[in-house]
Amino acid sequence: MSRDALMAMAAAREIRDGDVAFIGTGLPMVAAYLAKATHAPEVTLVFESGIIDPAPLELATGVGEYRLAFGATSIRGTRAALTLLQQGKVDIGFLGTAEIDAYGNLNTTAIGEYHHPDVRLPGSGGANDIASMARRSVVIARTGRRRFVETLHYLTTPGHLTGPGARKDAGLPGDGPVRVITDMGVLGFSPETQRMRAERLFPGVTLEALQEGIGFALDPPEEVTTIAPPDAGTLALLRRIDPAGTYVALED
Amino acid sequence: MADKRVSLDEALALVPDGATLTAGGFAHSHQPMGFFRALIAEGRSDLSLMGVAECWVAEWLAAAGMLRKAWFSNFMFEGFGRCRRFSEGIENGTIAAEDHSHFGMIMRLVAGAERLPFMPMLSQGGTDIALLGGFEQPEDKIRVIDSPFGDGQRVTVTSPLVPDVAVIHAARADRLGNVQLGGASAVIEEQAAAARTVIVTVEKIVETDEIRRTPEATLLSALTVDAVVHLPFGAWPTGVYGYHDPDMDFLSNYYAASRDAGACSDWVDRHLRAPADHWAWLDAAGMARLLALRTDPVLGYRPAEVPA
Repeated sequence: MSRDALMAMAAAREIRDGDVAFIGTGLPMVAAYLAKATHAPEVTLVFESGIIDPAPLELATGVGEYRLAFGATSIRGTRAALTLLQQGKVDIGFLGTAEIDAYGNLNTTAIGEYHHPDVRLPGSGGANDIASMARRSVVIARTGRRRFVETLHYLTTPGHLTGPGARKDAGLPGDGPVRVITDMGVLGFSPETQRMRAERLFPGVTLEALQEGIGFALDPPEEVTTIAPPDAGTLALLRRIDPAGTYVALED
Repeated sequence: MADKRVSLDEALALVPDGATLTAGGFAHSHQPMGFFRALIAEGRSDLSLMGVAECWVAEWLAAAGMLRKAWFSNFMFEGFGRCRRFSEGIENGTIAAEDHSHFGMIMRLVAGAERLPFMPMLSQGGTDIALLGGFEQPEDKIRVIDSPFGDGQRVTVTSPLVPDVAVIHAARADRLGNVQLGGASAVIEEQAAAARTVIVTVEKIVETDEIRRTPEATLLSALTVDAVVHLPFGAWPTGVYGYHDPDMDFLSNYYAASRDAGACSDWVDRHLRAPADHWAWLDAAGMARLLALRTDPVLGYRPAEVPA
């Protein structure tokens, strides 16, 4: 069984037909094409490089790649793509991260003290803009107690900030993160606290095992279900989208 | 209007020690590497960068010990990983960093371009980008305020940035400085509009009548451009849409060397400082290598080789 495939399926499921989706490279790109090939044929993809609604013939490994631009209905600048977020035209955005806290806030800037970091990371890029302004966002993050932390070293990208009302005070128009897709299952957020809680587990994963990989206490779940493994048709689609298994290996 | 064509040496003279720069490009595309290769060979000190996605410019300036501080939103090498010399410069305190989101950085350049004291926008609020300054005071960079129009909306405002010099590589220009570029243009329009001086290097110089046939493809008007340099393969080893792909082998060769400070320093001496001029830099790469990067005109990229 492939956890990558389960993650890609879970990410694809977050995309609704007709959505405008803001996508980066990696697993979200594979997930977006999986959604487009299955339940969401009318999804429109937007990339921060300025490429809008492309029809690439092969999987790109970068949002700035010329092969991603093939067949696009519009190619403009980065500002034009990001302005779509501020206009509320983007329904869903995907994010990755080095650290994530219970509210879904992300750090992709620095490990250690910001001014003299132990490890300097690349910085926000478009992530803060996506998380601030897309109608909803989804975080992709493998479990681990150094990634899922009580306190971030630096808050690069807003989740629910400090909880209910905080995003509105900060002037952020989007609803914030709705799901966190991990290699053990899918997490959501309690409506009362806006802290993370389990929603669906991958086959063979227990709630206890998931909590073990998270460095803060998850809120009590409402109802936890187990996700069915991918069927042969889905695996075949994933193989066609990502033939070399660059982002989605079909075996662990 | 004046003929703005200058030699590369004349254009380099527009960048003094201590200058604040911004450079075009995104990921491995259309970064003005020929210009910056030559600038590194000449040597400058205490440069600053106001950047969005010109990762290779930031990295090579850092590797050459010429970068002192950076206002920026994200520098990383798509498909490779961190910009090592740039990141380690921040870690060891030789480079000061001021963080933004992409949109935040672009809005500061737009405020500079529009000669406005600030630009309103809706991202960055509530995060350490807004609350924790790098070398600026956070309140001088970003504030979240109530809309002055009394509708109860909270809005982020951000202050202007005005680079001394923007350096852009594009596909073609006329002698007056009307500049055209295909593909995703990244931030070059905002960067050029904000900067006090705009230098453009291009693959081709064309007649103004040629520009007039496709005015909709003109991203920078001659009114905003100060100097035009005819510099074929001036983005190499990054790519130019419609001309050539990025040279991933050459970029990868640098990335491997950049993991070690000593090896990286040798690499910079050998590849960036040693060539006598732009043509020697291209000669060292070799014509066969450069021509092999040319893109398929229908696809817009060089398709993967089909196995025999």
